[in-house]
Amino acid sequence: MILNVNNLRKEVPSGDGRLIILDDVSLSLNDGESLAITGPSGSGKSTLLSLLAGLDTATSGEIFLDDLALHKMNEEERTALRKEKVGFVFQSFELLPSLTALENVMLPSELKSEKSPETNAKNFLERVGLKNRQDHYPNQLSGGEQQRVAIARAFACSAKILFADEPTGNLDPRNGEIIADLLFEVNSETDNALVIVTHDQELADRCDKTINLKLGKVI
Amino acid sequence: MIFKLSIRLFLREVKSGYLTSMLVSLILAITIVSGISLFTDRLEKALNSETEEFLGGKLKFESNNNDLFERINESYKDSQHTEMALFASVIFSDDEMQLSSIKAVDDSYPIIGELELKNSSKIYSTTKSPEKGTVWMDERLRNLLSLSYGDEVFIGDASLIFTDTIIYEPDRASGNLAFAPKTIMNISDLEKTQIIQPGSRVEYNYLFSGSEETINAIKENLEQIKQSGEEIESLGEDTSSLGRAIERSENFFLLGGLIAVLLSACTIGIASQRFTRRHISYVAILKTLGMKTVHIRSLYFLIFLYTTILTLFIGISFGWILQNSFINLLASYFPTELPNPGFYPLIVTCLTAFICQMGFIYPHILKLLSISPMKVLKDSISFNQQSISVLLAGLLAFYALLYLYTEQPILSFIIFAGVTGLSIIGIGSIYLLLGSNGLGLGATSSVKLAFSELRRRRVGNSFQIFAFTVAIGLTLITFSASQNLLGSWQNSIPADSPNNFAINITKEDKESMEVFLKENSIEPTQFFPVVNASLNKLNGNDENLSERNFNITWIGDLPAQNEIIEGSWFSDTSENGISLSDEISERYSLKLGDEVTIRVESKVIKTFIQSIRTVNWDSFSPNFFVIGHPSLFEDIPSTFITSFYIPTEKQDKAAEMMRKFRTVSVFSIEELIKQVKEIISQVTKALNSILFLTCLSSLFLAFSALQDGFSTRRHQSAILRTLGAQHNLIKNSSLIEFSLLGLISGILGALLSSVGVYFIETQVFETTPNLYLEMWILGPIIGLVIVSGLCFYLIKGVVKKSPKELFN
Repeated sequence: MILNVNNLRKEVPSGDGRLIILDDVSLSLNDGESLAITGPSGSGKSTLLSLLAGLDTATSGEIFLDDLALHKMNEEERTALRKEKVGFVFQSFELLPSLTALENVMLPSELKSEKSPETNAKNFLERVGLKNRQDHYPNQLSGGEQQRVAIARAFACSAKILFADEPTGNLDPRNGEIIADLLFEVNSETDNALVIVTHDQELADRCDKTINLKLGKVI
Repeated sequence: MIFKLSIRLFLREVKSGYLTSMLVSLILAITIVSGISLFTDRLEKALNSETEEFLGGKLKFESNNNDLFERINESYKDSQHTEMALFASVIFSDDEMQLSSIKAVDDSYPIIGELELKNSSKIYSTTKSPEKGTVWMDERLRNLLSLSYGDEVFIGDASLIFTDTIIYEPDRASGNLAFAPKTIMNISDLEKTQIIQPGSRVEYNYLFSGSEETINAIKENLEQIKQSGEEIESLGEDTSSLGRAIERSENFFLLGGLIAVLLSACTIGIASQRFTRRHISYVAILKTLGMKTVHIRSLYFLIFLYTTILTLFIGISFGWILQNSFINLLASYFPTELPNPGFYPLIVTCLTAFICQMGFIYPHILKLLSISPMKVLKDSISFNQQSISVLLAGLLAFYALLYLYTEQPILSFIIFAGVTGLSIIGIGSIYLLLGSNGLGLGATSSVKLAFSELRRRRVGNSFQIFAFTVAIGLTLITFSASQNLLGSWQNSIPADSPNNFAINITKEDKESMEVFLKENSIEPTQFFPVVNASLNKLNGNDENLSERNFNITWIGDLPAQNEIIEGSWFSDTSENGISLSDEISERYSLKLGDEVTIRVESKVIKTFIQSIRTVNWDSFSPNFFVIGHPSLFEDIPSTFITSFYIPTEKQDKAAEMMRKFRTVSVFSIEELIKQVKEIISQVTKALNSILFLTCLSSLFLAFSALQDGFSTRRHQSAILRTLGAQHNLIKNSSLIEFSLLGLISGILGALLSSVGVYFIETQVFETTPNLYLEMWILGPIIGLVIVSGLCFYLIKGVVKKSPKELFN
């Protein structure tokens, strides 16, 4: 099992009291499976994804990622875990503007001190159809192209699980479809687990599992 | 609506802390400007009233005759005026006799200031002259004549009663023998002394005071009736050591002020850029909602109006405290309370704030107003903050600030062109030096990542290095001003500077005096022969064009601390003439090669101007406006003047000397030297406060420059951390990168300060330039420590946050 979550709770201070963003969330996901997290805006989807990926810490509850107790780890240990096992695709792409498409994709391999980050990155860029745009900077690429670079970067780090936060949210329907296809295609080729936060029911339907959140609770 | 919105927006900006660096920089600039200009204004006013007292009036006329009031028109009757006769004579008491400088004054004396006197019962101030039949004397003369109050003294044939000791007199500039022991008597007793006979050496001084209009009218009339040998002296020509010391201090303060304001201006520019960036979406949204550009402009205009009012209020309050602390340091050097400042300092302060606003803030706001409402819909619409108009406005404001402080358009232009030229070369060289980047971010190790970042951000880094260089360089210049420049000024008065002058040494006394000095191990500077003579410029018709009396000397060797700037010093191989000081050459339009005559009593010497010299009047050695070649004065009878250093423990030797050589007048300038030295040390203290504020401005500039680049680093750090980059990789690479930036900036800052100090030494203070090695050590150290320290502070805030927090 790649992901096992028990009774997860996230609170944040708000005004006089505390605001509960997630309450008693439990879920599990096997290797190679895909999971869609859906729900209306403000239901806690992105917060849940951040907790699962180790980008943030929960108030209580347990998260086991590849059998490792993420909830017991400090920031540095979580960072090390992300480097080895996690890939991430953001709604707003989050590419480094000063790096070319190729360099952005090379980044995870560089962080792992892999021997040939360039070859690996080129392969993934070719896989997402951007071989000819590898020397372009993010501001020279369209939104769809930037998201494809982000997907290539997420897969280039040989992660065991990939988290995607509204990957088609900033794209038009046509580009959204292309990106979704690409995400599932590459995922099936690499046999990674995939967790997607989305509003798009069609995209959610393509996943093996779906959980729906409302006011921080699984319904 | 706009008014309410502007208040809300302004308060929100202040509360959020985003305006902090702009507010603090403006407050710092205004504090420094108002503090320094209030201080220098009060100092100048005090100096003017001091000079007025020193002169004894607003206008002085010197003549060898006592018929001025018969010669001039009625205009003088609207003024307060006084007549006095000045001469030297021997005064006899019952047991002693002593040469004294005597001032015989009329009943109007003094017309400015008060005399401070001491009689048998008390010390008191008076604005009256001595009564008929009485004399006042200074303490030294009283002791030399062994007098008690009420004793009889004889001046010529007149018997007078000594009633008061002079502690302070306002017109200290009067008299040729100003340093000889002094006597003041009533002019109506002059006739019965029988001293003033045809051909006697007596000078009549006429002092005038009154409204500017009256004084100008009198001055104009005096110019017309002025005869050969007569002289007009007015305010604004304070050449005393104290006056020069204070004037020079003002230059130091203005320099410190200018530097601090330029630093603050750079910070304000950076802060405005950040402000604009944060408001892009805000303006775009307001436009989308239908707000007219003119209203948005009014909104931002109001925000900056509040900023100006707030910073002016706080800055001027701090400035007032600052100038008060400076005044406290120097107040004891002025006999009266310092006058209140005028409006000029406030005008300079408001102008500085206005220039900073118009040059470094408003252009950014104008640019912001040009943003398309489409930016709301499409974030990718570019917004270029750096435009030619923004740059030009900044440069124009830079020039305006320089001009405001130097009030010299050409000097301002030279500094402006120098600084901008060096900046372009500097930024270009740094850009090229950083080189082009290789493939990838180099995130495998801290060192690789640091170097990759240095190259990858070379445009931003070049500007950042420029900002750090300016901050370090200008701080080092202020540091150098407070340490080295002041130090070299202080060193110009060595510990063994002559502290005693001896004048009226006759040829007969000269040899025995040399023996006396040698016996007592006192080393005199040199014995200069001296006569009072008039100098006449000749045109082709042998007609006098200008005339004035000078103490002239003749020597073969150029005195120390004199420098020939035109022509050549006397030589054995050619015909020799005279050497003039540059002041006299300028004031009387006397040029190299001009033919002149020197009239000594009845003898006329025809000669020419062989050289023009600069004279260091701070040297405390005998200095001369006119020096002639000895061959011209072979048969002229003269007295001699010399100066020498007598250590404190041998001060009694001066009194012994005076007793032994009765006609020689020895006077001490120990107090004056002490006063100038003390002023320098007080100026150092005051300048250190300016240095502290400059350092603060520099820190703000460095911090703003760093902070400006850190928003993109924060984002990059969030991505790298998400992808698994460890804290240490990000922290160490940033520290390495910024240490290098700091080191480069420190070296360039040392270069900038060396060039700046060289320029200030040679052009502003006209001293000999030096190489200050400590700036080359301090520069890189400051750069390294401050920049990496600030980076450590900023990066700590980044690495201790989770990626989620950094993305928010």
